[in-house]
Amino acid sequence: MDRQAAQSGRVQSDGTHEGFLRHANFRWLKIATMISLLAIVSYLIIDVQPRHNGGSWYGYTLGSIGVLMILWLSLLGIRKRRMSRGHWSLKAWTSAHAYLGLSLIVIGTLHTGFQLGWNVHTLAYVLMMIVILSGIWGISVYATVPKIMSANRDQTTEAQMLASLRSIDRQLHDAAQPLDQNHAELVSGSLDQDPFGGGIIRRMTNRYPACQTIAAHEKIMLFTESAPRTRDDPLEKVASLLGRKRAILARTRKHLQLKAMLEIWLHFHVPLTFALIAALIAHIVSVFFYW
Amino acid sequence: MNFLVRQISRTSDGREIIRAYPHDVREIIVGREASCEIHLTDLAVEMRHARLTVQANGKLEIAALAGLGFEVDGRYTSQAIIDPAGGAEMRFGGHLLVISEEDSVVVITVERIEVLSDSTKERDEIGLFTLRGVLPSRRIMAWTLSVIVLLALLVLPIYTFYNYQNSEKRPAAFHADSLWSSGSLSSPHAGLGMNCQSCHTEAFVAVRDSSCVSCHDDAHEHADPKRLKLAKAPLDWDGKISRKIADSFNRPEGRCVECHNEHEGAGPMEDTKQQFCSSCHTDMNKRLTDTKIANAGDFGTAHPQFKPTVITANGSPPKRERISLDQKPVENSGLKFPHNLHLSQTNGVARMAGRLGKPFDFGEALECKDCHVKTPDGVGFKPIDMEQNCSQCHNLGLEKIGNTVRTLRHGDPKMVVADLRAFYRSGGPYSVRTQQSMEGRRRPGDYARSQPYYAYFGSVNYSRADSAIRAVFSKGGACYDCHTVIAPPAGSDNWQVQKVYQTSRYMTKGWFDHDAHDTETCSSCHAAKQSGSASELLLPGIKTCRTCHGGEASNADVPSSCAMCHSFHADEGAPWVPKYNMARKRDLSKTGVENGKAP
Repeated sequence: MDRQAAQSGRVQSDGTHEGFLRHANFRWLKIATMISLLAIVSYLIIDVQPRHNGGSWYGYTLGSIGVLMILWLSLLGIRKRRMSRGHWSLKAWTSAHAYLGLSLIVIGTLHTGFQLGWNVHTLAYVLMMIVILSGIWGISVYATVPKIMSANRDQTTEAQMLASLRSIDRQLHDAAQPLDQNHAELVSGSLDQDPFGGGIIRRMTNRYPACQTIAAHEKIMLFTESAPRTRDDPLEKVASLLGRKRAILARTRKHLQLKAMLEIWLHFHVPLTFALIAALIAHIVSVFFYW
Repeated sequence: MNFLVRQISRTSDGREIIRAYPHDVREIIVGREASCEIHLTDLAVEMRHARLTVQANGKLEIAALAGLGFEVDGRYTSQAIIDPAGGAEMRFGGHLLVISEEDSVVVITVERIEVLSDSTKERDEIGLFTLRGVLPSRRIMAWTLSVIVLLALLVLPIYTFYNYQNSEKRPAAFHADSLWSSGSLSSPHAGLGMNCQSCHTEAFVAVRDSSCVSCHDDAHEHADPKRLKLAKAPLDWDGKISRKIADSFNRPEGRCVECHNEHEGAGPMEDTKQQFCSSCHTDMNKRLTDTKIANAGDFGTAHPQFKPTVITANGSPPKRERISLDQKPVENSGLKFPHNLHLSQTNGVARMAGRLGKPFDFGEALECKDCHVKTPDGVGFKPIDMEQNCSQCHNLGLEKIGNTVRTLRHGDPKMVVADLRAFYRSGGPYSVRTQQSMEGRRRPGDYARSQPYYAYFGSVNYSRADSAIRAVFSKGGACYDCHTVIAPPAGSDNWQVQKVYQTSRYMTKGWFDHDAHDTETCSSCHAAKQSGSASELLLPGIKTCRTCHGGEASNADVPSSCAMCHSFHADEGAPWVPKYNMARKRDLSKTGVENGKAP
């Protein structure tokens, strides 16, 4: 019976999706706000002499809370690989991760006592802030990009995108056989080039200035536009195929750009978290080393 | 049959299909054109690319027909002659042609070896649709960054520390442990520069007083350590917790650095906050029941009246006591001096000052500065000196010989007696003519008109030295006016003058800097114009100070922590307060606007 109830719990739902940000009626937003307010109020009330800094008892307290929170937040990487439900479902955990991570802005900043410099302590603070900001970036990307991506994909899957590209390439290859060498080379250039190569900048900006397909299409179009239209001119056929290839490439490249946007923040968020933990180790050891 | 062309193609599952085409001609064409004997559907191949001709000697000649060449055994060329029996490999675009000879027939095996297009290559689709292909993996980035951070900011600084741990001075260069510094050192310690090991002598050991004392060898305890311990307020619950934590982290109590914080930024060191004093002194008598030190917690609200050290009885040395200004202490300095008479704007003193004028830098009347001269440091005033500060008017001239006025010797009654006797023995009895010749100046005030100012007062017709000596030391005489004279027994002329003691510093437990108060006039604190007797102590009480000064956290013009006047490591000098702070506070009190510079 219990088992049944538990199972039915999974399917019982009003059908609307509740994102991790709204989880449990913003429970973690409320908790994080409370923590931040508590930190700010205590910072104002507690009179640390000669001035607030990380080395006072209050500073150490904030620092200890901060480092424990950072370590817990970084455990999301492990936690997310192990699914579970209930209070500590992955959604609850992610919700807490986001909101508690934001409250670290307050705790970390107050821990510094606004004393910053070119040192290991400020490095840890800056890394923490970049990690948090990249997280904010990630959440905002998750909130906006999937819609755009879905519209761009227009029901095609990634595999279909590549399959249609292969198909058009085969057709191009065949259609280009009767072409003279100059035109054949243009088509060959389009066929031989990796249309998605060129690194992260091309990927993120969706600008491929050295695209051979576009170049070939435009050059061949120059001929076909000026030449009289004949029914079975192979050049006409190639031009039309190149035009289709361009369209497929544009969609796929846009898709790649959007996917990269969904992913690239993690390339900051995760490695910098590890750099942050390393900086925190150096920060804490240095404080006790030069005690 | 001269040629046999074998075309190899592959099915989608990789199986080979071989088709053979014999050609009984002497020459064949390789090209993309369908009519070519060797037809290559390869866009990198010309329509008619090359001609293969079997020569009479059985060799095979290959010649390019258009612009593009071909490869023979890996070498690019446009013409070649090969021996089919020896075999060879030729490449046209993405196709490989292997030449061999079987039964005097040239066999050409044709196979596509390059993929048709980039997209038909086998592609890692996950790699394409993620950033794996264009960025190093997150794992590699994470490890790389972590290792860089740990090396640069942990390993290197630790190495630097142990490298220089026992050296006096590090060479001027970048030292990695400076990356650990949480802030610049204060200006007094700026000279330590990058020598972290000067204070941080051992790893994981909090800075000890021994490091401080190695330079500050004159620093001493605030009080007997036992009493200090007694005087301390008992810790409240949170204090106990922090003490426990500090103990467990090997941070002993009462170290210099508890008050003298470092790494708080360049500029003067932070002055010690009031709280460090008030935590014990606010109610110290509760714990240190026998203490003579009054409780004090805040200058504005909880500070006892000043207790200057005053001379209560003459003697050598005189008796000095600390008496609260509330008890209106009387100073017995041995001097008679009415300030009001000397500071009057209208009386004879004023007129005399006006008459003496310029040579002595006097104005229309006497001012404080005419007698009281600041010490070079500006903190206090030099003791009043008869010759320097009084004798302009109170001249002890005896007679004028030529242009030189012979004077009685100040401070030596025996010599005065001797001089007078000698004077009478040589020139006396004193004649009116002599007297008149000496009337260079007349004594001011009531005595001015009828009496000569000099050493002779009263009737001028002294016929004997005895009378003159008595007159000098008695009421109306030159000594008596300012000094307490001790008369000799009858028949003796052992006249004595009570020694004058001046107090250069009344507030011995605190510090007062006159220079810091040059925004004020003398009379705004010292009521000298109303004082008719030197025994009146003209020190202002705490109320006067509080018109400007308040406690550290007060809204007074000059918020003042204990350290402004009191020194923890008390000595004869000024308490240690950052000069910048003092100057700034003074500016604030003067203009109400912070201009950040000492005037």
